[in-house]
Amino acid sequence: MSTERARLPAMKDRVMENDWVQFLISPGIGIAWVLGLLFLPMTIILVISFAIPGDFGNVIYEFTTANYERFVNAGVYQSIILESLMYGVVVTLIALPAGYTVGYFLGRSKTDWKWVLLGLVVLQYWVPFIIRTYAWIIVLSNNGVLNTLLMDVGVIAQPLDVMYSNVSMILGLTVSLLPFMILPVYVSVSTIEEDQIHAAKTLGATDFRAFREITLPQSLPGIVSGILFVFIISAGAFLAPTLLGGPTTRMIAPIIEGVFINDFNWPFAAALSMIYFAIIAFLLYLFTRRVDLEEALETGAT
Amino acid sequence: MATEQDHVTKGETDVDAERGYFGITFASRTKWNLIRLVTVVVYVLMLLPLLVIVVNSFNPSRLGNFPPESLSLRWYTELFADELMLRALWNSLQVGVAAAFGAGLIGTLTAMGFVRKNFRMQDALVIVLLSPLLVPPIIVGVAATIFFSQIGIGRSLMWLIVMHTLLGLPYAFLIIRSQLYLFDETLEEAAQTLGADRVTTFREVTLPLISPSIITAMVIVFVISFGEFTATQFWVKRTTTTVPVVIFSMLRTSISPKIDALATVMLVVTIAIPLAVLGIRRYAMPN
Repeated sequence: MSTERARLPAMKDRVMENDWVQFLISPGIGIAWVLGLLFLPMTIILVISFAIPGDFGNVIYEFTTANYERFVNAGVYQSIILESLMYGVVVTLIALPAGYTVGYFLGRSKTDWKWVLLGLVVLQYWVPFIIRTYAWIIVLSNNGVLNTLLMDVGVIAQPLDVMYSNVSMILGLTVSLLPFMILPVYVSVSTIEEDQIHAAKTLGATDFRAFREITLPQSLPGIVSGILFVFIISAGAFLAPTLLGGPTTRMIAPIIEGVFINDFNWPFAAALSMIYFAIIAFLLYLFTRRVDLEEALETGAT
Repeated sequence: MATEQDHVTKGETDVDAERGYFGITFASRTKWNLIRLVTVVVYVLMLLPLLVIVVNSFNPSRLGNFPPESLSLRWYTELFADELMLRALWNSLQVGVAAAFGAGLIGTLTAMGFVRKNFRMQDALVIVLLSPLLVPPIIVGVAATIFFSQIGIGRSLMWLIVMHTLLGLPYAFLIIRSQLYLFDETLEEAAQTLGADRVTTFREVTLPLISPSIITAMVIVFVISFGEFTATQFWVKRTTTTVPVVIFSMLRTSISPKIDALATVMLVVTIAIPLAVLGIRRYAMPN
């Protein structure tokens, strides 16, 4: 971690003199920012999750476990959280092979278009979720682009009823999240030395064996990072289930929003948030027992 | 690279590694073609819907039938006559730029602190710093809203700036830190041996060397801030609304190509500004 090096002793004295730069250049401000604006608010909603809801978002500070009892007794919230995690798994399972294939292609291809193709993924990564989600409404709706074209061509007589269903939701979410899989896989694959694969094949390895023994292990950091981001973002997705989902689509983020905004029940919204956060934190804990969380985040975010 | 060149015959359109190294076997060629097919499908799925939005924004028909029979700027005219839209766009730009500067500054100081200083619990503190990436945005949104309301701070642009700085900070920190790892500290020592004080050293040596990563970080933070919706929806009021929130509420009320026009403007901003900044960076700082 540290980059300690032997400095000239005289220099060290002067550098270590108390200096406003010394004060500013420290992890303090960043840590304080996160503690003050994330950890403190999270602590407050933990407290409020044990309080009684008043009218119009007021909170009556009296200790109660009623919010958690409601979660336990009304099984619907448990199934919604379970379903959210399931959607997260499904989206991750689709995005992994698709994103890996594209990342692998970009990492190994020698085509002149590679930089353009890579640029397009980065641009896609920049496009706001709301736009990527909205795009699927115009494409998949009953009078949308896909159905209009298919009916004009005569492939189908009735519009395909795919919009506002789990299918459209999963499709929109998966495509939106593909850059999170493609980019880290590309980074890992492109650093693999091709001589290793060449050597393996010269020694008689089949394509598949060479892939399994050389490419796959070395692209694992990219895969891990991709899975982490895709799963966390998709399980907690708000826009895709709200805009693309159907009557049977239930996910936790829209439910928390509904309790918070429509019901004005802040303590229960706080309790749901804490329960969902605890589950995510537990999954992350299981995750960190196998892999380095910091490394996975760094691979994904840079 | 040299070996590859040897194997690839000129005039072939596709120059991929598999064939270069291993000869043109039917099996590996089929596999590679399959990989290319999947890649093409993924690109079509990623890009075509966005293209439809852009094309449709020039469609004069309210129903937005596709492909448009004629092209017009009708929806752009309506868009730029709509005060709420313009205000949202202006708010989003202000918040994005301010958050970029906020996260850029804090990210730089924090990354330098982590790389240059030794202190206890460094690994745990890094995870603290990266935690805004791990907490689902819906929870960040709810938690901050309850927190600010309990301490009696009303919704304002400053609220958005402060929170978007938080959401961008992990990205800024990671991008700047990765550059600092590559930094040759003997350059700073050289400057100080030649008599520069700490501040001069920072300004004349350290900052110019790490500034490319700071600019990249700021661009990324701007993009994140400009597009953030899930947490931001709780933090705005009518006068501080942002473009994603406006698009969302339009989707709930009336779908018209005006949304496509606004989305296209957003696409242009979110792609053109970063490309311009990164382009200028490349021009001004060749390294």
